[in-house]
Amino acid sequence: MDIFLQQMVNGLTIGSLYALVALGYTMVYGVMRLINFAHGDLVAFSAFIGLSVYAQIFGESITSLVAVITVFVFTAAIVAFVGVLLERLAYRPLRTAPRLSAVVSALGAGLVIQNSVMLIWGPNMKIFPSNLFPSTIWEIGGIVITFTQVMILGVSSVLMVGLYFFIHQTKIGTAIRAVAIDQDAAKLMGINVNRIIMIIFIIGSALGAVAGLFIGTYYRGITFDMGWMYGLNAFVAAIMGGIGNIPGAMLGGLLLGLFNAMITGYISTQWAETFTFVLLIGILVLRPTGILGETVAEKV
Amino acid sequence: MMNKTSLIAIALLVFMGFFPLFVDSAWLAVGTTFLVFAVVALSQDIILGRAGVFHMGHAVFFGLGAYTTAILNVNFGLPILATWAPAVLIPMLVAFIMVAPIIHLRGDYLLVATIGFNIIFIQVLENDVFGLTGGPNGLFGIDVVRLFGYDFSSQTHMYYMAFILLGLTLLIMRNLDKSKFGRAMFYIHKDEIAAQSMGINVRYFKLYAFILGAGIAGAAGSMFSVQYSAVSPEAFNVTQSIMFFTIVLVGGSASLPGVLIGTFIMFVLPEMFREFETARYLVFGIAMILTMILRPRGIWPVRFGNIPDFLKKGVK
Repeated sequence: MDIFLQQMVNGLTIGSLYALVALGYTMVYGVMRLINFAHGDLVAFSAFIGLSVYAQIFGESITSLVAVITVFVFTAAIVAFVGVLLERLAYRPLRTAPRLSAVVSALGAGLVIQNSVMLIWGPNMKIFPSNLFPSTIWEIGGIVITFTQVMILGVSSVLMVGLYFFIHQTKIGTAIRAVAIDQDAAKLMGINVNRIIMIIFIIGSALGAVAGLFIGTYYRGITFDMGWMYGLNAFVAAIMGGIGNIPGAMLGGLLLGLFNAMITGYISTQWAETFTFVLLIGILVLRPTGILGETVAEKV
Repeated sequence: MMNKTSLIAIALLVFMGFFPLFVDSAWLAVGTTFLVFAVVALSQDIILGRAGVFHMGHAVFFGLGAYTTAILNVNFGLPILATWAPAVLIPMLVAFIMVAPIIHLRGDYLLVATIGFNIIFIQVLENDVFGLTGGPNGLFGIDVVRLFGYDFSSQTHMYYMAFILLGLTLLIMRNLDKSKFGRAMFYIHKDEIAAQSMGINVRYFKLYAFILGAGIAGAAGSMFSVQYSAVSPEAFNVTQSIMFFTIVLVGGSASLPGVLIGTFIMFVLPEMFREFETARYLVFGIAMILTMILRPRGIWPVRFGNIPDFLKKGVK
């Protein structure tokens, strides 16, 4: 039972990271019908940016709440800018091209980001500073919860709830939903589609940046090529929840995190990814639109 | 009918035929691998370019062919010639079992599912299932092709075997284009729903393409394992699948010269720029983006516009 509860906590932690990354995928897919293969590498990139921002601003000094918030805000801003740049340079020229051309462009963009990280920060594993969060540990009935885990769960819940209300309650959110349903009709209603796509990339990249920083603080070791695996898991989570569906991405992320934690806790770590994809294929066969259903309008 | 394209094709064929006479062994090995990869890329094109099935896990079939030959030869002592048939048939069978339940899914789902198959395949190889695959190190000491007491063991022999395999593949693809299959594929690619309403069994033809592509990739894999006399999991990972996927789209899907050019650009050019090891993939990524922006349908796209070749016959 202790293992179960412990893996539950770990799974929810990883799951909220997947959910944050999955939101970036699902929003871009919902609006552009594009699997943004560069998103995972953007997440890895943000962990390295966070490392440099921290070193530049605070050196090795003691941490404070202000310092941590500054690192997060700076990193999110830089990564959001790179995300917008990515859309401008690699995706916008291909919006009317065959869909697979944009996929190749996304793969190329991922390669560019990944190798830029390698050239700037070097090919070896970097260690993320440990003093970003206090190393407090709580022991409740035999299970261990760290301060970092609480932060990850808390911050990502706030962000996800915030995003949900942003999409459903604000004018821009309504415009985003309109563009996702029908770009041409949205244009006729006076919505600036390019601006909406830019906002999508800002939000998606910023959420990815937060996830990247949390990956750094939680796992400590970061490598230039780690983005691919997080990205793939997050995309699987987005599909499980129903691609294009924002609550679906959150649910999918949490479920996949829990599933992963249970598999590694009870069955095997060597076969973890195999189980993930068997689950994905099972869901695709039984319920191709995902658990909550996709919101992508199928045009015939 | 001799047009410019067929003249170029014949010139290229003659050049490729005499290529081993001019080069040293390092370049001969690059040439052989080019031929093998070209075969894999063409088989990927049958699935991705012609049938239009989004498929990013082709290294699975390439790897299955390679591992079938390696396992049968190293673990069971079968001669290489006897492994050829299973190296083609096993990938075909696996393709059928794998893809039949999901072939009806929309493109992007297939893309991720096929990546998933590739990841599962790599985990199966690395975890050394039944002690057959040799784990992360793979298998080595694969024999050479022997026939009537002759050993086809030199690099030149390998080159010509791969050359014959490429020739066979091109022949198969030419015949496909002129067959019922080619016509059905053309309509499915143009408009799947219209094709279905015309009575074309879309699911059947897509599976057909998948299984055929898997078999050809398996043959290439078998040759690959003999050329290097070793197989290991990293030669068949997702990165490799992405390369085959990109070759087809950068070159021009459903275009024979396009796929060959794609193979050249994605495989041989990086070999030439080995000195720039570190920045190589950065340039590569930029080139991928630029190619797609400047030529969204690939470097050498299919040219027949909206009227397929078989209908244009006799019109001139």
